[in-house]
Amino acid sequence: MLEISNLRKEYPGTLALDDVSVSFSAGSVHALLGKNGAGKSTLVKILAGATQPTSGRIYVDGRETKLRSPLDAFRQGIAPVYQELSILPELSVGENIFVGRLPKKKGTGGLVIDWPQLFETANSVLQDMQVSLDVRQKASELGVAQQQVVELAKAMSFKPSVLLLDEPTSALAHHEVNRLFSLLRMLASRGVSIIYITHRLHEVHEIADKITVLRDGKHIGTILAKDAAPATVVKMMFGEIPSREKSVEELKKRETVMEVRNFRREGRFSGVNLNLYKGEILGIAGMLGSGRTELVRAIFGADPVESGEIKIGGTLLRSFTPASMKRLGVAYASENRKEEGLAQLLSTRLNMCLASYDKVSRNGFLTRKMEAGVVRRFVRELDIKISDAEQSISHLSGGNQQKVLLAKWLNTNPGVILLDEPTRGIDIQTKQQIFQIMTDLGRSGISIIFVSTELEELLEVCHRILIMKKGNIVGEVRPAEISADELFVLCMEQ
Amino acid sequence: MNTDGILPPDKAGRFLKKYMMEAILLFLCAILAFKAQNFFSTDNLLNVLRNVSMQGIIAFGMTMVIISGEIDLSVGSAVAFSGCVTAYLTQMLASGGASMPVAIWVSIICTLILGLMVGCFTGYIRMKFQVPTFITTLAWMTALSGAAELITNGFPLTPFPEWYNFLGGGYVFGIPFPAIVFVAVFSAVHFVMNYTSFGRSVYAVGGNMEVARLSGIRVHVVKIGVMGAVVFLASLSGIMQSSEIMSGSPTTAKGWELDVIASVIIGGTSLMGGAGTVKGTLIGVIFLGVLVNGMTLMNVNEYWQHVVRGVLILLAVLLNRVQFRKNQS
Repeated sequence: MLEISNLRKEYPGTLALDDVSVSFSAGSVHALLGKNGAGKSTLVKILAGATQPTSGRIYVDGRETKLRSPLDAFRQGIAPVYQELSILPELSVGENIFVGRLPKKKGTGGLVIDWPQLFETANSVLQDMQVSLDVRQKASELGVAQQQVVELAKAMSFKPSVLLLDEPTSALAHHEVNRLFSLLRMLASRGVSIIYITHRLHEVHEIADKITVLRDGKHIGTILAKDAAPATVVKMMFGEIPSREKSVEELKKRETVMEVRNFRREGRFSGVNLNLYKGEILGIAGMLGSGRTELVRAIFGADPVESGEIKIGGTLLRSFTPASMKRLGVAYASENRKEEGLAQLLSTRLNMCLASYDKVSRNGFLTRKMEAGVVRRFVRELDIKISDAEQSISHLSGGNQQKVLLAKWLNTNPGVILLDEPTRGIDIQTKQQIFQIMTDLGRSGISIIFVSTELEELLEVCHRILIMKKGNIVGEVRPAEISADELFVLCMEQ
Repeated sequence: MNTDGILPPDKAGRFLKKYMMEAILLFLCAILAFKAQNFFSTDNLLNVLRNVSMQGIIAFGMTMVIISGEIDLSVGSAVAFSGCVTAYLTQMLASGGASMPVAIWVSIICTLILGLMVGCFTGYIRMKFQVPTFITTLAWMTALSGAAELITNGFPLTPFPEWYNFLGGGYVFGIPFPAIVFVAVFSAVHFVMNYTSFGRSVYAVGGNMEVARLSGIRVHVVKIGVMGAVVFLASLSGIMQSSEIMSGSPTTAKGWELDVIASVIIGGTSLMGGAGTVKGTLIGVIFLGVLVNGMTLMNVNEYWQHVVRGVLILLAVLLNRVQFRKNQS
């Protein structure tokens, strides 16, 4: 039994949780739903002890308590299982379950591991969960689903009263999901309360007893799962959507700048065709795992494809590398800004010029002055806030980093820009600036493919939106003809 | 807040931080000026310069390698190997009837090309098969050393005429020839790293290889290039070394890789890649050279010299790390 009351969490510039009160009863599976940025992950972080609420109370089994650290949360009986597995591949299943607290032989001063004891207790944890796994097997030899089970076992070994699951099925195949669900139901029947976060609406009805919806940090409501029609839930998630005043102006003429034909990559996407027109902002809507990111990466030549061709301008290409796509005027800003977009160690100046040395330099030679010119230009044009262009880029906020990433590519004078989640982790104001930049670029004749999980964003700036599901493009809509919740349902449908 | 937004906020603090190693070097020189006789004589300073030249040339190449996120442990062996190859080829060509100058020049050029190829090969299998350069160059370290023993049969080869000594032991207007090469290589590498797209790409690749790749930088060209460059420079150094001792000796330059890497790190280059300067390495090279020279002038016991060097290298690196961490937070 876990209860939160008037929980509030402020971050600089945003209110992530706004007076949220929910009680999660023992022995039930409680689904937590909400769009990106609704406050789900903030709530999970607070319950896992990873961050502290600004105000509000948490009660475990009726006692008020503070969750000062992840360890503290464990001690209070709250065990989180995260979306990203934290398995140590080279260690055995047993070690993975008890990592950090391996049993020690008595009389050795806590220095020597008691292997028989370790495997025995690990085995009993697994038996308790009614799963059979070899505790001596290396974790790397297991499939993803089994690794997920190990992760669950690790959480269960703390004998928790609350289990937090953050998108546990995102990496699982269908039959594996069923196995996980029966495991969860079994655990719930023993009195564990399970908080289950997902974006897969159809799962909710299969597994959850209750549904709690958050929106913009507010608790919108908690309803019984059996009473909840999908349309009701979607309404709760999206709220009343004010009709958009400004609509995207139509393209004057359709002049194809890029054609993608028959793109296929085993297990990621297949038979993808798309046309991109001059000055168009083309959205790709799809859920996690729909293949949207993999598709744009492949178009840029970042990953290999099994088959497919691209026509840009008059050139027909069958093999692609980032270097060759760049030469043809294609730019790609990864969703993963920190690892793939900008070199965090390097200065703003170096990062901004990284993709365009051929343009910055004259005959292969360049000076800092020439680079500083580029920095000055984009600092002004994109309104980037920096105090020192020589400082490593990690000093900048997410929004400013995103602008530097854009600047890096704009300086290559691209004709086509592939933008994957350009607004992730960015405050609302900067988001609007980025949309404005995108719209301006479109007007100046640059075409953009815009991938986003934030469907409202796509509706706000795109001319057309392609719907991607399970590696296929299954539909095309115009923002003027559809609302965010309708689009959401289109992306979700089985 | 500056309106144009790109001027540094705290100039004085930055200045000191930036020139920390220079300050320490000056301090060391000041101590030596009082404690060690003759330290500040022209002869001695030129002597220091000559002594640091051979390793320094390699250190500039190593700076590029380390900034790009790689390492080369084979440079010491490459020095010995290329000296031996030059001697061996000269001997062979001369006994085959070629005139001495022709024999020597052909040998030198072949040696340099061979060195370049060895380095490029390391870079190639780094990119093609993801073999860490630490491992490949460790293998080269043994292999090149062994190859040097093989072609010389373990004894120094001495086919060189008197004038060959100029490359390693000669003077131009009173300045040792290796020192001139040292300055030339410094200028060239400094120029490449600061004024060419290739140099910038080296930083990019070392800063984050995936970011560089996704920025359309041809990462393999950069890595193969820097790995080739450092062995090329080691070969150049090896040729001058063979000229100085007038023989191709398989036992020369043992352990140089450590001194070379030490001077790069003392100069502030990060072993993680992505950060560092050629100027810093210049300071690092001179620092080590002055230290050794000073201790010798002061008749410090040789064993102690090693200990002091080790301790100072550690201190310098610690200093750099602390600064780096401050910079990051």
